Amino acid sequence: MTTEALTLLVFAPLAGALVMVVAPRRAAAPIAVLSLLTLPPALVPLTRAVRAGELVQLPLAGFAAPLGIVWRVDALAVTMLLLSVAVVLLVSLHALASFPPERESGQRFWPLWLILVSSLHALFLSADLFNLYVTLELVTLAGVALIAVRGEPAAMRAAMRYLLLGLMASLFYLLATALLYGQTGTLDLYLVGERLEAGGLTAIAVALMATGLLLKAAIVPLHVWLPAAHGKAPGPVSAVLSALVVKAALYILIRLWFWGGGGQAGEHAALLLGVLGALAILYASAAAIAQRRLKMLVAYSTLAQLGYVMLLFPLASAGAYRAVVFHVVAHGIAKAAMFLAAANLLRALGSERLQRLAGAGSRHGLDVLAFALAGVSIMGLPPSGGFVAKWLLLAAAWQERGWAWVVVISVGSLLAAVYVFRVVSLAFAQPLREPERAASAGEEQGRAQLTSVAALLLAALAIVLGLASAPLIALIDQGLPPGMLR
Amino acid sequence: MTIGVLVDVLLALSLVGLSLQVVTGRALFRDLVLFILFGLLIALSWARLGAPDVALAEAAIGAGLTGALMLMAYRRLAAGGAADVSPARRRPLLALPVAALAGILVAIIGLSAQGVERVPDAAGTLVLQELSATGLGNPITGVLLVFRGLDTMLEMAVLLVALLGAWAVLGAAHPGRLHQVDRETPLVSALLTTVAPVTLLIATHLLLVGTDAPGGAFQAGAVLTGCGVLLVLTGTVRPRAAAGLLTKLLAIAGLAAFALIGVSALALGRAPMTLPGMWAVYLIETAMMLSIALTMTLLFARSRALGPEQR
Repeated sequence: MTTEALTLLVFAPLAGALVMVVAPRRAAAPIAVLSLLTLPPALVPLTRAVRAGELVQLPLAGFAAPLGIVWRVDALAVTMLLLSVAVVLLVSLHALASFPPERESGQRFWPLWLILVSSLHALFLSADLFNLYVTLELVTLAGVALIAVRGEPAAMRAAMRYLLLGLMASLFYLLATALLYGQTGTLDLYLVGERLEAGGLTAIAVALMATGLLLKAAIVPLHVWLPAAHGKAPGPVSAVLSALVVKAALYILIRLWFWGGGGQAGEHAALLLGVLGALAILYASAAAIAQRRLKMLVAYSTLAQLGYVMLLFPLASAGAYRAVVFHVVAHGIAKAAMFLAAANLLRALGSERLQRLAGAGSRHGLDVLAFALAGVSIMGLPPSGGFVAKWLLLAAAWQERGWAWVVVISVGSLLAAVYVFRVVSLAFAQPLREPERAASAGEEQGRAQLTSVAALLLAALAIVLGLASAPLIALIDQGLPPGMLR
Repeated sequence: MTIGVLVDVLLALSLVGLSLQVVTGRALFRDLVLFILFGLLIALSWARLGAPDVALAEAAIGAGLTGALMLMAYRRLAAGGAADVSPARRRPLLALPVAALAGILVAIIGLSAQGVERVPDAAGTLVLQELSATGLGNPITGVLLVFRGLDTMLEMAVLLVALLGAWAVLGAAHPGRLHQVDRETPLVSALLTTVAPVTLLIATHLLLVGTDAPGGAFQAGAVLTGCGVLLVLTGTVRPRAAAGLLTKLLAIAGLAAFALIGVSALALGRAPMTLPGMWAVYLIETAMMLSIALTMTLLFARSRALGPEQR
């Protein structure tokens, strides 16, 4: 049962993409819906098995490590898959309206979108350093193509920069993989973790791999590509890039560090990663406040929120792990909602300047509501998922007596409140002049409503996550890294 | 032995010298030609390291195709009047610290790798032990198709994403007019009638021999692309505005064949990506070769499809 489930998660979207390339246009929408709707049922047996304490393993082609590639699903992988499927389904709802599959724009968008989903799932399943490289490469390239999918010059420039820096990051990662293989004779992440010994070569390999992954995850100061790439991409693409794609690189880093022997690089290295995270939180939050364009503000907010994940490395406790994984999920959902709402507002107002938001609260209520609800989670206010994450993280930092981290987390939340309130208060301000409203056709209006519903559903989920956090926390706790005691 | 060492030293020195010239050069065209030469020397280095498969791929893709792509890009830039990218706009000053950092990195890795002992049961050793059971003679093909097929399948997805991305960016624009040579000159017609069939022959040979000796879908596909590039440049095939069903089927063929066979293993109660026999190896390799050649030729021609001239 789990074998079929694992296969579906990767091959169903892939098959959808392939069929859509050759199928006639009118079949595109059913193909997309069908291939995406197979994903939730596939998660059921996996989640059940992991909840029962099982480690689901599948040696591909029947070859166990170190000869072959092994798919391995523990609680962390299931958590990422749950996040991915939830975000992908709801964002796809938006994409069905913003990139109608039967139209030219949809014909370009959907095959790339489905390949991105497939490669993300292959990444979360993989326990092999080289296979992770291939999947991360595929995720990046699909992301690049999706950023540029509308062919707008600004988006194409951003995509090009993302591509070039992404390739450089891949080279770092690949060199590190070769060094680790040379030392351990295996590419299997867990075997590498067992066989790796501390030393100069290990330190270089871990440093190279971390640099590549931090570049792909856009951790300050390696973030220069992200604001433009996430800010200029179409709404659904921004949402998934911020919610899932940058997290994929951090997922690999966490795996490498706590399972793959990367922690041998030492406490100073962990501290350095934490300091980068703190820098990201403070700098990017301040930069978000200074933005004048809505989607750029949201993109800088992503940079800041990614910083919290980095605090896991110096804290390195079960409490911090629980908090950070919960944060990854909560931020993923909230940020997807926020980007969709921002894209809807941008489309409705015809401008991304923050000033033009004045009065949007009454005319585009649903989108402003979605933005505000997502903002509640981003700020870390109760009862949202973001609140639970920040609270757990504060508690973990407190327990480790990391007072500096406590201050950074608190200041970061305050700064987040400033940039979120800035948008929401503008939206409820008196408009400077009554804008003329373009009368849109019935079908277009239906599409616009669907996009708003998608954003609102995600935002609601971001809040519900806080109210019903216990099952997720229990799931995360089941897969604590080796050596971390509850 | 000594001649070997001498060749190695010469290769290493030329590589460093060439890369310096490429980065600090003052004329774009000259830099491109030197970069292609650089690729050829890299291919030679792989051959010296005992990796003929990589050498073949590097020569065909790294030097040949990349070179053709860059020269084509240069021609487009030149047509747009931007070809003389002035040295002032490039930054040789930035190149120095980057080169120094890279040199230090290589030195540190080299020094610290000296003490590392060979791992007895490395994955590579296991591949050689298990190879006979697969019926293949070439360990590289064994890794690419049998032991780590998922990697190769996903690489085909990378290629498809590149093509789909290029199609998206091309938009609905009319296929660009390519600079073409006059087909009536004796040299061009001789080139077409001899080189095109020979590349086809070499590609087929590389594909078939790949199961037991250096070669395989990637090298064969790259050589076949050479044939495609020739046909495009001589105007034998011309860009079309829209991709037909055949083009689309060929573009997905490699990935689709691999994925379909990989998943159908489930029906037989085996793990996904298990290949049912040698016929599957040949089928997947052929499909991959066709997809690779088509994709790269289309990327080179910057078009959605190619076809004979319509009158």
